[in-house]
Amino acid sequence: MVQNRPAVTACETFEPDLVLYHYGELGGAERARVEAHLQHCEGCRGYLKETKAIAGLTLKADAPSQAFWDDYTREMRHKLAALDAQRSWWQRLAAAFQPWTIPAFATTAVVVLALALTLGQEYWRPTEAPPEQEALMEVLPLAENLEFYENMDMLDSMDLLEYMASSANRQV
Amino acid sequence: MCYNPLMKGSPSKVGDEELVALAKGGNNQAFEELVDRYKQKAYHIAFDFTRDREEAKDLSQEAFLRAYTKLANFDGRSGFYTWFYRILVNMCLDYRRSQKRVAAEAFDDNVESHVEPSHPSAHSVSLDQHVLAREISEKAAVALEALPAKQRTAFILKNHQGLTIREIAELMQTAEGTVKVHLHRAVTALRHSLAEFA
Repeated sequence: MVQNRPAVTACETFEPDLVLYHYGELGGAERARVEAHLQHCEGCRGYLKETKAIAGLTLKADAPSQAFWDDYTREMRHKLAALDAQRSWWQRLAAAFQPWTIPAFATTAVVVLALALTLGQEYWRPTEAPPEQEALMEVLPLAENLEFYENMDMLDSMDLLEYMASSANRQV
Repeated sequence: MCYNPLMKGSPSKVGDEELVALAKGGNNQAFEELVDRYKQKAYHIAFDFTRDREEAKDLSQEAFLRAYTKLANFDGRSGFYTWFYRILVNMCLDYRRSQKRVAAEAFDDNVESHVEPSHPSAHSVSLDQHVLAREISEKAAVALEALPAKQRTAFILKNHQGLTIREIAELMQTAEGTVKVHLHRAVTALRHSLAEFA
């Protein structure tokens, strides 16, 4: 696109403020400063005038007919109806939730969890055996391996006999 | 039977807040009334961004549908229109981002051919003026389209829709100073492109 040079140029330091001034975005001291400058600067006045004209050129009015708006409304009705039909049951349920229901549900969940832990502790705790049974359970593995321990004792005795026999031989 | 103020009299007398409450409760007629109330504003905003009648219609209707599905999230801290406006403008910005190319020729074909006979420009200007107006319109559309996306967005939101710098910054999720820079650069570029018509 061919770029043309603007017909007028503004003072470099004032140019950005002139755009904001045009759009009413300057207030107080800044606005007063620009207005004071405009009184004696022809270039900036020309820039402002041109900016106003160009900003207006870019605006484009569109005036659709009543038939267009009737179509618009009819289409919207159909689209809304189609959207309603698409909504699944869980979306309706979610939509029905009010803000107060969330903390209520959270509180209920915490209470249920606390009850479950308190009552469940008794259920899951292992039953304690009577003292006599405990003693029996301690002895039971020894009783089961009695033969083994007896064999070990015999081996110890054999070692002793061998030692005594060797001592007797040395004395002879 | 539930209370329905829309049955009592003129729907235009029912406030937005009440219509929103009814629509939240499942009253589709209430939401249709809101659509009826704001469809023209919504359309014109979308048209500023799309420059195409059908696109503007679709985009503004989509914005209404999105508002309808998100109505449960509307907390009423702002007015319905303010809330809806944000949805619409954000959709317009998304549209601009997704549109890599908009045929400038199509803009004028669509717009000019749709101007109603009652529109002043259709019958009250001479042929020469009409040709000149068409040429200016074409060049303005091309110049706008040639702007970088952020400059164009800032310019449209300010020049066409009259938002404040702060509102634009909020919508564009950027600093106010950045918006001012975008706006200044946009105006400078347009002045260069359209100087011959100023």
